[in-house]
Amino acid sequence: MKDEVIFDLRDVWKIYYMKDVETHALRGVNLKVKRGEYAAISGPSGSGKSTLMHIMGCLDTPTKGKVIIEGRDTSEMDDNDLARIRREKIGFVFQAYNLMPGLTAAENISLPMRFNGIGKGDAQRRAAELLKKVGLGDRLHHNPGELSGGEQQRVAIARALVNDPDVIMGDEPTGNLDSKTGVEIMELIEDLHEKTGKTVIIVTHDRKLAKRAKRQIKTLDGKVVR
Amino acid sequence: MLDIAVRELAGHKVRTILTALGIFIAITAIVSLGSISTGLNELVTSTTSLIGSDTIFVMKHFDFSQMGGPGGGPPTLEDMKADQVEEVISTPGVKRGVPIIARQIGGLFEVDGLDIEQKDIFGAEDLEFKEGSWPENDEKGAALGFIVAESFGVVVGDYITLNKKEVEVVGIFEEGSGAYDLVIIMPYDFADEIYETDGGATQIMLEPVDISLVEGIKETIEEDHDDLDAMTMEDALSMMEEMTVTLNIMTFGIGFVASLVAAIGIIITMYTSVLERKRQIGIMKATGAFGRTIMIQILEEALVLSVVSSILAVGISFFFVGLLNEMLLGGVNLAMITPALAIGAVMYGVILTVISSLYPARMAIKVDPIEAIREG
Repeated sequence: MKDEVIFDLRDVWKIYYMKDVETHALRGVNLKVKRGEYAAISGPSGSGKSTLMHIMGCLDTPTKGKVIIEGRDTSEMDDNDLARIRREKIGFVFQAYNLMPGLTAAENISLPMRFNGIGKGDAQRRAAELLKKVGLGDRLHHNPGELSGGEQQRVAIARALVNDPDVIMGDEPTGNLDSKTGVEIMELIEDLHEKTGKTVIIVTHDRKLAKRAKRQIKTLDGKVVR
Repeated sequence: MLDIAVRELAGHKVRTILTALGIFIAITAIVSLGSISTGLNELVTSTTSLIGSDTIFVMKHFDFSQMGGPGGGPPTLEDMKADQVEEVISTPGVKRGVPIIARQIGGLFEVDGLDIEQKDIFGAEDLEFKEGSWPENDEKGAALGFIVAESFGVVVGDYITLNKKEVEVVGIFEEGSGAYDLVIIMPYDFADEIYETDGGATQIMLEPVDISLVEGIKETIEEDHDDLDAMTMEDALSMMEEMTVTLNIMTFGIGFVASLVAAIGIIITMYTSVLERKRQIGIMKATGAFGRTIMIQILEEALVLSVVSSILAVGISFFFVGLLNEMLLGGVNLAMITPALAIGAVMYGVILTVISSLYPARMAIKVDPIEAIREG
């Protein structure tokens, strides 16, 4: 299934309307990403890289154009279909970790599984397995507040993997970490890519980080320039 | 995901306690007031079962809303003269007539003088005694309700003073004999002597030969005696029911206002909770939760909160109702919480909370995950 196009963006526009002012975040983006690719989307602030990732990740919808994921046109999908894609096909890793503060590491990881109707016991077992995989086997019952930034991001990675998605999307995943921990996190993501063949798409403004990816996608003024 | 709902509530103690307090106050108010209506309804029903619905009461005109215990009348009620009593009892169709001398003492207790042999017409034949027994018809003694005895601080063999005359306590009814907890029953002749009624009666209870004659007897008595009222237990009860209805309306009025205040409180706290958790809701959406999953989560929290606080409220109401009976009603267990009232109140608390949480829950669905996560 290599060479299969997993994301196919055709003339995608995203325009924000605030009172009388129109802001063009994306201006006719055309982009294809194949299954198993490791790509970095980079560009200066305001170039539309995060918007692009949000649209690819079904967190947002385009104003114009088509986003086709695994051959299915997302413009024909309802909110529940889009939620199902986010839950089953894509695992997100955010800059600010975005863990639920009141839940333990294991509960945070198991949450997307619980959304899928899996029972608490099974979901917690899978969470324990994944925590071990990201090197936090002993942090099962710790709340996010009791974990370091790097550890929280590992928990977030484990959560992204819990439903065994095809794609891992990282929005500045090392942005809140010191450089050493940042490298460790990237190594963890890359290791996953190598071992499982999952498609990895990282958004970053860090050139060094972008260069680690096998494919560079650059954005400027709402367009993909390369 | 009820476990997550419980964790969420436990994680925000102040907010949870404040919301719970709103539900708690509303349900406690409803149950406490409702218990009085329920008690009154029960009293009406139990009195009907004690005294046959075909029994006719005859007495001088009076305002029924002041009626006391069984067969009772207010102290201002005028007595019928001996010849009038005789005439009433000899009305065609009457099987037997029992004249009763009734006096209120202290506003709460009532003295009833009647032929002890005929006490069955009064529904008193099966009363159990804590000590002693019924006075004989020729005895100068009385049987006292449990609360009456408690209040006078007397036991069998002691004396109480009624209308400046000594009355021996010959029996005390078992506690919990309903309205009989509040009465003093003595032989007719002795009451006649104490109150100097001269063969008269405050009221007469009539048993018809046949139930079909009830209306005819009533009509005859009222036609022959302008100053008398004749009514069946049913007539009397329908008047009492009117009172109960007024009380019920009052209860529900206060309950409604309390619920409204509670509902607004719930909406505000749940809405604040949604605003406060915008980021968390955003995370849930980003990681694939359906809108309805989030809505259910919020409603589950409301459910857990309302079940716990409503049950607590009903529990505490038992204490309040006990206090109400003790302090305001002088130890009479009038106000009562029936299983139906308790279950109904819990269900009402749950429905009120869940409905009040619908709007905040719908707000939660509309949270934009990108905006919510960006704010983090």
